[in-house]
Amino acid sequence: MAELLSKKSFYKDPLKEGQPVSDELTKDCYAVFSCRHKFCREVCPVYREERNESFGSYGLHTTLLSVSKGIEELANIKDTFSHCLECGACELRCPTTIFAGDFYKYTTTTVDLVRKIRRDLVAQGIHYEGWNEVKKYIDEHQDYYDGPETELTKWATDLELPKAGQQVMFVDYYNAFQGTEVPRLAAKILQKAGVPVAILEKPSVTTGELLESDIDLWLKHAKQNLEALEKAGAKTVILLNPHEYSYFVKEYPKHFGSLPFEAVFITDYLWQLVKEGKIQLEKDLDIKVSYHDPCALNKLCGLYESPRKLINSLPGVKYTDEDPVTQWNYCCGNGTASFKKVHPDIAYKIGQRRLRGVADLDAQVLVLACPHCKDQFTEVQTKSGINVEPKHILELIADAMGIN
Amino acid sequence: MATVLKDLDTVISNLESIAGKENVLKEAHHRALRAASCSPFPLHTWSNHIPDVVVLPGSRDEIIEIMKLANKYHIPVVPRAAASGLADGAVPERGGIVLDIKRMSDILEIDEENMCVTVQPGINMLELNRVLEKLGWFYPDDPAAYINAVVGGRIGTGGFSLLGAGFGHVPNLVISMEVVLPTGEVIRVGEGGGKKIRKSSVGYRMKDLFIGHQGTLGICTEGTLEMFPKPEAEFPAFFAYDSFSEAYKNAYELGKSGLKTLSGVVIFDEWKIDYLRRDDEAYIPLPEDVKSVIATICYGTVEEVSVARDKIFKIAKEGGGRYLGREMSEGDWASRHDRYHIPFHGRRSDGQVILLSWHCEDAAVNYSGLPHVQEKWHKILTKYREKYDGIFDDWGMFMYTNNPYKPWGDYLTEIDIGVNELKLTDETWKAWLELKKEIAETVLEVGGSISACHGGTRAGDVEVACYQELADGQFELMKKIKKMLDPNNIMNPGKYLLDEAYREG
Repeated sequence: MAELLSKKSFYKDPLKEGQPVSDELTKDCYAVFSCRHKFCREVCPVYREERNESFGSYGLHTTLLSVSKGIEELANIKDTFSHCLECGACELRCPTTIFAGDFYKYTTTTVDLVRKIRRDLVAQGIHYEGWNEVKKYIDEHQDYYDGPETELTKWATDLELPKAGQQVMFVDYYNAFQGTEVPRLAAKILQKAGVPVAILEKPSVTTGELLESDIDLWLKHAKQNLEALEKAGAKTVILLNPHEYSYFVKEYPKHFGSLPFEAVFITDYLWQLVKEGKIQLEKDLDIKVSYHDPCALNKLCGLYESPRKLINSLPGVKYTDEDPVTQWNYCCGNGTASFKKVHPDIAYKIGQRRLRGVADLDAQVLVLACPHCKDQFTEVQTKSGINVEPKHILELIADAMGIN
Repeated sequence: MATVLKDLDTVISNLESIAGKENVLKEAHHRALRAASCSPFPLHTWSNHIPDVVVLPGSRDEIIEIMKLANKYHIPVVPRAAASGLADGAVPERGGIVLDIKRMSDILEIDEENMCVTVQPGINMLELNRVLEKLGWFYPDDPAAYINAVVGGRIGTGGFSLLGAGFGHVPNLVISMEVVLPTGEVIRVGEGGGKKIRKSSVGYRMKDLFIGHQGTLGICTEGTLEMFPKPEAEFPAFFAYDSFSEAYKNAYELGKSGLKTLSGVVIFDEWKIDYLRRDDEAYIPLPEDVKSVIATICYGTVEEVSVARDKIFKIAKEGGGRYLGREMSEGDWASRHDRYHIPFHGRRSDGQVILLSWHCEDAAVNYSGLPHVQEKWHKILTKYREKYDGIFDDWGMFMYTNNPYKPWGDYLTEIDIGVNELKLTDETWKAWLELKKEIAETVLEVGGSISACHGGTRAGDVEVACYQELADGQFELMKKIKKMLDPNNIMNPGKYLLDEAYREG
């Protein structure tokens, strides 16, 4: 696995309309342009639908190179740069990352570059088409933060979760307001396993859309999260949303150094409990399933084992696996930040392709480990009528444990 | 130089009516992106190659309309597939319309009974094989850019396959195809008139005319391709030698073995081994006593391959080859598309790491001519590297068996060259063209062809191709054919010096 943290500090220097692109950033773009084997292309879920080579790692880096060479103006690339899921497939498939990344300490970092460009454009008031939807979402989360504190933990009202402890479950705003089944099931599973788990009184914003539009504000919230977790006495922070997991293990350390606690994704945590015999998976489920790797886990963080181990431990489950490298090509269509809000039509096509592939495997259920995947596939399933039921892995674990 | 088109607005609005507004790209970065194909691209004169507009058609009928439009306004049309070809076929010389075929990527029919598959030209081979493999078949075209290249581009450039000595190359793998001619007429070319017939004696061999024409004669809109049963066994074996000359001699013996399963023999020369030593994850072992390597690859049934294995080991051992082990052999073969073009492996002569772009000069050379070409190509490159240190770098040579279905006879030989495109100037670009010319002329000294897979359309060696290699009347006939099929010279003008056809009246 290549280095998780991008060390390209020059990404921090804002790119401004009418000003030259720095030599370092030009070289960074050239490192991708110079390849021209373009193995990043057919692995890009957006390219696979649109077949427009301006998208994908080669397209985006070359686009920026054309700005560097004075051929294009910065403002004109805004809509091209909105066509990225930030899924990370192109970075992994890049021969430079695979074969030379460790040696030269230099990998392709398309996701960071896309976030940087979007941010720099927003800072100058240059907005891509669809920005209003993204802004609305960011404002909604800021309103949650500014609103009554009790609303942030309303999902847990009946669960009697303490607000301090060694194991703290971090529940982001998406899960706290839209995907409440995930934190509720996680809490019930951990309670039944006898693991004392706390939640934060007031978690701060972690929204990816904010990360790629106003990093200063995003980092202010991040700092508050770290302080709150420390204050709560967290030794282990359990993440339920793969997007937030990637921020905790990749972004927070980049800006704040090593974390004062261990950040663990829920499937890793539960697999440990299964191994220790604290979780008993007993009820026969009698279903045929396949598993979808969330981009933020598989591609951004290299985490793919524990969900498979958990599925294989579920009684009565017939599991057809598609390996994590094959799944570099896949995405539910949501992306890891604003993509679906900006390009709902492409998101739908990507989701349909994925769900059809699962139907071809003769699976009844597509097991998920991400609330955004669950939301997206539920919508795709309803619209398309493809006969595959999207289910979160915690639902199956809870069923097998006899919860509910 | 790109021309300024007076009717551009009218052409664009017509293109939008034909292909849909969302499939006509006008912004500078979309057009600039589609100016370049593989390295080296003259970044210092990027603007000269930028097309006026890009269109992404979705059907044959749209392409027909686009060709008619281009004829009406006498606007160049440059077809673009994956643009990983090394002869600049996809680089616009005079602006105009770039016609990008990648949206047409459907599999139209899988005919298992007659063992062939019909596809649209924009499909990628890896993607095609993902579908075919589930049914127990495979399409064996295996270029270096396998993971990115698409069928239409392979046809337009007449590409070479790494598995060609076992399964044939593009001309052998295309059974028939549909082509939209420059004037907008549609024809099907193949063996006689049968769409799925492999051998006929009826009519002229038209199919070959539309393979490797570098986009100068038409646009393939559908191809019927060979489909092979997926081989039971794949067996790569790599051997190390004390010298290039030992490996060279042993390659002959391997070719002469008569093994039908032997689908390729590849020689790595000493410079290539040195280059691979720059990569800490290289499968090729680093000991200094390894001066040359041969890779052999077998495909077939388990029984065939296991017998072939013993014979290959015996021949290699008798010729001084040391087996490099299963892990290295399988690992290197599996990563064959990935590891030879890493830009970070560029070096100045003092060892400093510099970012260079991989370029490959290739030629078809008879076995007997390989030592001469190997020696002289390195001398040429050394001369230019000494003069332009940090601009050019020698990344060593490969020699692949080039004969379709047979691992002997002639070899695709290539010298890989690192080029610092970011620092190209008029002077270094001129030096590059001279370097290319010398490389090409060396090949003619031994009766070879200046390219086995890339084509001869690139500045620097196109004159060698047209005026020297094809001097025995072939180039004259090419011009007549071009003018007959493309009366207004709209298809990829400026390539293969074919403008001469129109100047000659």
